[in-house]
Amino acid sequence: MRVAFAVIAALALAFLALPVVAIFLRVSPATLVRELGDPVARDALVVSLRTSALAQLLVVVLGTPTAYLLATRRFRGRSMALTLVELPLVLPPAVAGIGLLAAFGRSGLLSTSLAFTQSAVVLAVAFVAAPFYVRTAVAAFEGVDATLVDAARTLGARPWRVFARIALPLAASGLGAGLALSFARGLGEFGATIMFAGSLQRVTQTLPLAIYAEFAQSFDVALAIGALLVAFSFTLLLAVKWLRSDWISPSRFAPSVSS
Amino acid sequence: MAALRLDLSVALRTFRLQLALETERETVAIVGPSGAGKSTVLRAVAGLVKAAGTVEVNGRDWSSLAPERRSVGFVFQDYALFPHLSVRGNVAFGGPPGDVLERLGIEHLAQARPRELSGGERQRVALARALARRPEVLLLDEPLAALDPHTRDTVRVELRATLRELGLPTLVVTHDFVDAAALAERVGVLVDGRMVQMGRADELIASPATPFVARFAGGNVLHGRARRLGTLTSVELSDRTVVTSTDAAQGDVAAIVYPWEVTLARTPPTDSAQNHVRAVVSSVVPVANRVRVTVGTVTAEVTAESARRLQIKEGEVLVATWKATATRLVAL
Amino acid sequence: MSLLAVFAAASLTAVFPGIDRAPRFQFGGSDQLAFQIRQGAPADVFASASPKYVQQLHARGLCSKPKVFATNTLVLIVPRANPAHIRSVYDLRRRGIKLVVGAPGVPIGDYTRTLLTRLHLRSALSNVVSDETDVKLVVAKVALGEADAGFVYRTDVKPAGKRVIQFALPVRAQPTVKYELCVPTKRKHPQLAARFVREVLSKRGRAALKAAGFGLP
Repeated sequence: MRVAFAVIAALALAFLALPVVAIFLRVSPATLVRELGDPVARDALVVSLRTSALAQLLVVVLGTPTAYLLATRRFRGRSMALTLVELPLVLPPAVAGIGLLAAFGRSGLLSTSLAFTQSAVVLAVAFVAAPFYVRTAVAAFEGVDATLVDAARTLGARPWRVFARIALPLAASGLGAGLALSFARGLGEFGATIMFAGSLQRVTQTLPLAIYAEFAQSFDVALAIGALLVAFSFTLLLAVKWLRSDWISPSRFAPSVSS
Repeated sequence: MAALRLDLSVALRTFRLQLALETERETVAIVGPSGAGKSTVLRAVAGLVKAAGTVEVNGRDWSSLAPERRSVGFVFQDYALFPHLSVRGNVAFGGPPGDVLERLGIEHLAQARPRELSGGERQRVALARALARRPEVLLLDEPLAALDPHTRDTVRVELRATLRELGLPTLVVTHDFVDAAALAERVGVLVDGRMVQMGRADELIASPATPFVARFAGGNVLHGRARRLGTLTSVELSDRTVVTSTDAAQGDVAAIVYPWEVTLARTPPTDSAQNHVRAVVSSVVPVANRVRVTVGTVTAEVTAESARRLQIKEGEVLVATWKATATRLVAL
Repeated sequence: MSLLAVFAAASLTAVFPGIDRAPRFQFGGSDQLAFQIRQGAPADVFASASPKYVQQLHARGLCSKPKVFATNTLVLIVPRANPAHIRSVYDLRRRGIKLVVGAPGVPIGDYTRTLLTRLHLRSALSNVVSDETDVKLVVAKVALGEADAGFVYRTDVKPAGKRVIQFALPVRAQPTVKYELCVPTKRKHPQLAARFVREVLSKRGRAALKAAGFGLP
């Protein structure tokens, strides 16, 4: 039986590895590097990096206080709030895109002129990536020893000081892991972006959108962009693992839809 | 105006903690079995737990103040040192540390991280941190529990001296009677949320209010029925042995005999005013420079010297003897 | 027994099932469909909105000789509410209009650019906010009211119904839009494929195409 399981495992791992490896083997490294010089690829890289940076800033600035509140206070509607935070995780990206249009489109609930702008990309990325950060952040804050918080209070620390000098530093590596996950998800975002922001080179065409626009015209450019995204994803995965080893996530995340 | 006045009522899981206490600039130990609500008393004074009633310090009512506004120094059971700060960072967290590092002899550890410190050093850092803000009340939760026996003895002595020197109203929670007796001027015994006795350690030993107090203070507790016989009381124990006491009591009683008031011999006493039990030695345990010997239902504590002289061995028969005056009776 | 697989340009979405309900249809941008066929996708029939892609496949020996089966013309559509107050194609020169077109390489995208060049309106391209990968997405964004205007095929207007208003475009500027189909050499159902092609080219098929607004060769 052990042999059978080993064979199955080998097949499974090969299945997971093959698409990634294939990207790098299909054309020579020289071709990959050259195609990355293509304007479509370069413009997509700039758009992706800019929108990702802004989106993650939004996620951290809004998500950190939210996660802290959810982790440290018990209030009515808390489990509802937690479910809401996780919602984008289970929503198909295309549905997220439609939702964003329905909410912020010109004929949407809150009529704005955001659709088709780079800000729309930022919003779409923030929407789908936020749950990755907030979920991890809540667990990280919950993992901060409550006795340390008590000690800080008896030493005269007001709520802000407890947050900034105790909770935040002690949760930091967990927050970092969450941010890396969020970043990875955001970089790969496609469905919501293409719906809500459209696809226009230099403005809204991110790396994944560029792959989609190019694959039928120029497969090599699409491959090169794909290789770049693999490299990014791998780096982020390493970052998550390294940060997580600093911080063991407790399993006492409050009950919610997916856990 | 008392330095510290408490009148608390806190609902706990299976009972209600109800405590009234007044102290001046002295140390009061709160002892009792685990789960009795001892730590809750400290947390209520610090404001970390909601309590109905009053907490008054130096005439000011703290009851509506949040913990960060109360002037307490709290030393937690596992010290709760901030792992990401140095010793200096920890001690200075509440404010400028002044000379507290020097006073407690830890200035040479200022740059160290908590994880690099020994148990005794951590205890001193925790104390320094609690004192840095010049608190009006000091709260210590099991200050010696996390220490190994050897360190414990030295730290106990140091802590006692420090507390005397500080002269602050202090509450010490501990499950160990010896610690309580050493550190505090008064000892209160808390059982199931109620204070069953409060007084000096020697008072608790001399006149325990309940069998629990006696056992807690280290005494043998023997159950039986008492009958007056002239000036003495005769108690028939559950194993039919009869002991005599100079205390007056009637009916169901607990007879309390302290180990260090029991002597051991190979032959019964000739004086009938002595109580004795002749039984098999079931355990011999050396404790510091004494030996605890359990003979039947009675544990005696004798010097190592005496134990050696008698050549006490487990399994042999010995006679444990004590005076009628050393038999304290508590009505049940 | 698996169904006939027909890969067809997005603009044929409404009309092809009307000609034959049975096959399994895959509609999309003709360039993407051609790509999939090159990668080995199991298409039995390929109908493209531009000769370019079928000719390319034929040149590589990947499909039979293409046959023209329909033509089309381009129109300009705006949402019913016409938020940008567009009255003709020349208004597209105005700055700030949200114009949605097909991506370069997608037939509708190439046709649109040809048209705009012929009208000397290439400057309108600076108003493009999104390059869509098939014409149905262009229709959708205009119909939703998110875009101010878009270029689509005449045949796309009826399915969009009252949600859009169309503007005819000068005939002299219209590019030649020829729909061609072919049978990929790796087809699984040669008989069924041949039958489908015959149906499209038959009188009934042509009538259906005409009713939908296509031109006939």
